Amino acid sequence: MVDYVATQRMPTRVRARARDSSLLRNLDWVLLATVVGLVGYGLWAIAGITKLDVAGDPDFYVKRQATYALLGSIGLILAVLIDPQLYRRHSRIVYGVLIAMLLLVPVIGVEVRNTRRWIELGSFQFQPSEFGKLLVILFLAAFLADRGKRVAEGRTVLAATGLAFVPMVLVFLQPDLGTAVVYAAALWATLFIAGTRWVHLSALLGVAALAAVVVLWAAPAAGVQVLADYQHDRLTGFLNPSENPQGSTYNITQSTTAVGAGGLDGRGVSGATQTNLNYLPEHHTDFVFASLAEQRGFFGASILLLLYLLLIWRAIKVITYATDAYTATVAGGIAFVFLTQIFINVGMTIGMAPITGIPLPFVSSGGSSMVVNLSAIGVLQAICVRRR
Amino acid sequence: MASTGARLRPGRFLPPDPRAKTPYRLTPQMVFRIGILGFLVLVAFAILFFRLWALQVLSGTQHLQAAENNQLRTLRIEAARGPIRDRSGRVLVDNAAATAIRVYPSDLPDNGAYGELKRLAQILHVPLADITKQIEEHKGDPVTPVTVKEDATDAEVQFLTERNAEFPGVAVEDIFIRRYRFGDLAPQLLGHVGEISEEQLKGQRVYRSGDRIGQGGVEAAFDKFLRGQTGLARLRVDSLGRPTSEPLTDADPIPGHGLKLTLDAKLQRAAQAALVYGIDLAIDEGNWNANAGAIVALDPSDGAIRAMASYPTFDPEVFVEPGKRKQLQLLLNQENAERSNYPALNRATSGLYPPGSTFKPVTALAAMQEHILAPYDSIQCTGEVTLFKQRFDNWNPFVNEPMTLPTALAESCDTYFYELGKRFYSLPPERGQPLQRWATTFGFGQPTGLDAGSEGSGLMPTFKWKKDTFTAEIDRIWKPGDSIQLAIGQKDLQVTPLQMARFYALVANGGKLVTPHVVQAVQQGNARSSGPAGPLTLRRFSPPPQEIAVDKGALDAVREGLYQATHATNGTSSTIFGHFPVPIAGKTGTAERVIDVGDYSTLMDSSWWCGYGPAQAAELVVCAVIENGGFGGEAAAPAALRVFESYFGKQAGLVQTAEAD
Repeated sequence: MVDYVATQRMPTRVRARARDSSLLRNLDWVLLATVVGLVGYGLWAIAGITKLDVAGDPDFYVKRQATYALLGSIGLILAVLIDPQLYRRHSRIVYGVLIAMLLLVPVIGVEVRNTRRWIELGSFQFQPSEFGKLLVILFLAAFLADRGKRVAEGRTVLAATGLAFVPMVLVFLQPDLGTAVVYAAALWATLFIAGTRWVHLSALLGVAALAAVVVLWAAPAAGVQVLADYQHDRLTGFLNPSENPQGSTYNITQSTTAVGAGGLDGRGVSGATQTNLNYLPEHHTDFVFASLAEQRGFFGASILLLLYLLLIWRAIKVITYATDAYTATVAGGIAFVFLTQIFINVGMTIGMAPITGIPLPFVSSGGSSMVVNLSAIGVLQAICVRRR
Repeated sequence: MASTGARLRPGRFLPPDPRAKTPYRLTPQMVFRIGILGFLVLVAFAILFFRLWALQVLSGTQHLQAAENNQLRTLRIEAARGPIRDRSGRVLVDNAAATAIRVYPSDLPDNGAYGELKRLAQILHVPLADITKQIEEHKGDPVTPVTVKEDATDAEVQFLTERNAEFPGVAVEDIFIRRYRFGDLAPQLLGHVGEISEEQLKGQRVYRSGDRIGQGGVEAAFDKFLRGQTGLARLRVDSLGRPTSEPLTDADPIPGHGLKLTLDAKLQRAAQAALVYGIDLAIDEGNWNANAGAIVALDPSDGAIRAMASYPTFDPEVFVEPGKRKQLQLLLNQENAERSNYPALNRATSGLYPPGSTFKPVTALAAMQEHILAPYDSIQCTGEVTLFKQRFDNWNPFVNEPMTLPTALAESCDTYFYELGKRFYSLPPERGQPLQRWATTFGFGQPTGLDAGSEGSGLMPTFKWKKDTFTAEIDRIWKPGDSIQLAIGQKDLQVTPLQMARFYALVANGGKLVTPHVVQAVQQGNARSSGPAGPLTLRRFSPPPQEIAVDKGALDAVREGLYQATHATNGTSSTIFGHFPVPIAGKTGTAERVIDVGDYSTLMDSSWWCGYGPAQAAELVVCAVIENGGFGGEAAAPAALRVFESYFGKQAGLVQTAEAD
């Protein structure tokens, strides 16, 4: 029956219209609704969390975040319209843009609290490493898909790792350890979906674990400092939060206190003292989940987590819609990078993961993150609509 | 499927284009990997949910507690201290609202605390060293604030309030400070208010670190009435310790009760002036080292203190006024205090002096009670006498006549009393030490039981005391000279002016030993809450006098002698009191004391006068002592007269000082 329909020759214009209508028809509406729900929920959360942050303008951050969401929607629509194969064909340009952006940061970047992560574009601060998350996936997927069956070869894995290592190091030097970890997750996920052999994947995990041990324990013991002291303390602090509650584990202590104090149904906007009195640092960016949990309680936090679960489920489903290894890898990479970010960010606020500066997708206040996450959803939708 | 479909399509016989890519299909391996990915997702979310459940639901209460404690600081709100009034209701001490600048050491920033304190010191004009020293002292207790300045000006308060973001850990708090309406009136007796010290904190549960409590005198002794009840409030603070709300009151502070003293502000003022006058007189007459003294005036009927002056003195404002902090050092620093002759010492209660001839009535009463003296028998008074192979001089070498007790008292004949001393010494051992026993009965050698402030016991030399105190065998024996010198109040005997006044009250009231007291009542609340009838009295203090079995005739003889001493031709202070419209009776005294003068020590005379008036129905006992003031008639007697003048509102007219003991 399918053949019958397909064999009908249609005039070009009619075919184009059919494609357009198929674009809308094949859109993953559940995924879209989930994302709309997440952005809306995020705006509502930010509204409560930042109510007292800017004197005289309680809606400052919500308005800003809504603007970012609008910008991100444009990115989403554009990403749906663009055939993902375009990125594959121009994967070298993708990689070039990625490296160029990251190289620009130390040159013209703005320094904020001893880190250089942002480039100023007029009044908008733009964070290349956030965009890098998507670009890394697009590039690695293209690189691996182009290798076809050679994905199974160790050389390919090494080459991919080497190529991913460059942006990781650049981001690590900003310093932004968390984003570097996300890039590593992107590498591992793309290799995984592209079909790399288990041995290679395990070896990669082994090397990562070894690196962590060396950096966090062996090297300091031998007198070589790879990480700054504060980074080291933050990474290990969550293992023993009561060690130095006024110092290196201050954030983790205050954050778990905030989350716990939220209880079942939250302390409300005005009752959330950990947030309102600034005990919780960075409560509208990195620690936004802790603030949400304090204000809205277990119920409020669970709604967000369930929305995330839905999002990732739909993203994984997109892998099955893929028409080729390339798009499948892209979809898998995006799904896993979302998972990584959510797990590390939420985990750190509840004392289960080291403290690294990773934003919570769709909720943390920040333009680059919002635009890039919505664009990633756009890419997923683009894959979805071009299914057969 | 698509490729097979293409192959089956009619008209396409050519094999597949070799450039066409291998068609993509969802291999079982891919499905497996997607499955693993899904499993990872489920595990990750399960972990997050369980942890969230554990944190928020299982141990939520604990964390809520921690969050509450995080941001609430308990403040102790000082209650307004009760006012202190004199006997006629004049307010001597009350409160003024002030603004204190306090530093909470625990809230100071880790970095830049020094810079912040330095700036604070500059703004408040307080030496930086003072602040850092205080913080250092409170190191073990970083939660209690350190008061940097108690009386900040409006400009300073405004400056700090506007910039509170720049001064984390610095708080502006409303407090009460003591206001001394009569300036330097009786500062040693009233005491002051100050922060509790480490030693005072030990072993008690009433006060807390950082409390300001009564220090010394009435303020300390009646602190439990004056202090009221500290209120409690909670203050919300942010993560930098800056207040984010007005304090939420848990318990309102309850103002302290007022005190009504027996003191008369006017008489107290007069006594303080009289003391200065007496010292000036002594210096004018060549007693260049007259530099200190005390006057006690009390009501002989119940021991109510009407005035209690001590010199040198100080201005209690030094404890309040930041500009006078330097002078505070004169009181608190041992070395400085010595240089300024201990202005904080209440000489009326703690100054120990040999009483000299003012003690003679004690000897006389004891001798009559022990029946070794008949008051109207004569004893020859001479310029000198040799007893037990030892020569004893009279203060007046030119006298040689028989005297009865009243005359001997009036002219203060030493040889008369040497004779009594000899009689006491010569009593058989089974009679014990009757002079010491009677003196003890009259209140000497022990605290008087004054209700406020510290008190000296004095020293009553006894056989046992000598034996216990000295090591050399010769010094440990009670010798005739000890009895003879004791009879005229010399050598080892030491008394306080208050003990002396108490004894003269006993003489004046006919044998009742009163308990001196300065607080007569506790009154309700603050000045504002008083109705037209004055503040409500909650509690009254009137310690009952103790009846002493003293022979009326013996007392009359002594009183006769004391009256003659101020009125008879040869009375030692007749030139001073003789023309005063109110009949005053009293006794001079000149007591030798060893005084360190620079590098050497010498004997110097303390000038004494004790007495009462009106002589027949005494209303007021006055006891004055001026250190190194010469004869009693030179300095102490004229000073005491000034107090009587103020009390009775009458002038004495021409007064001549007398070089008489």
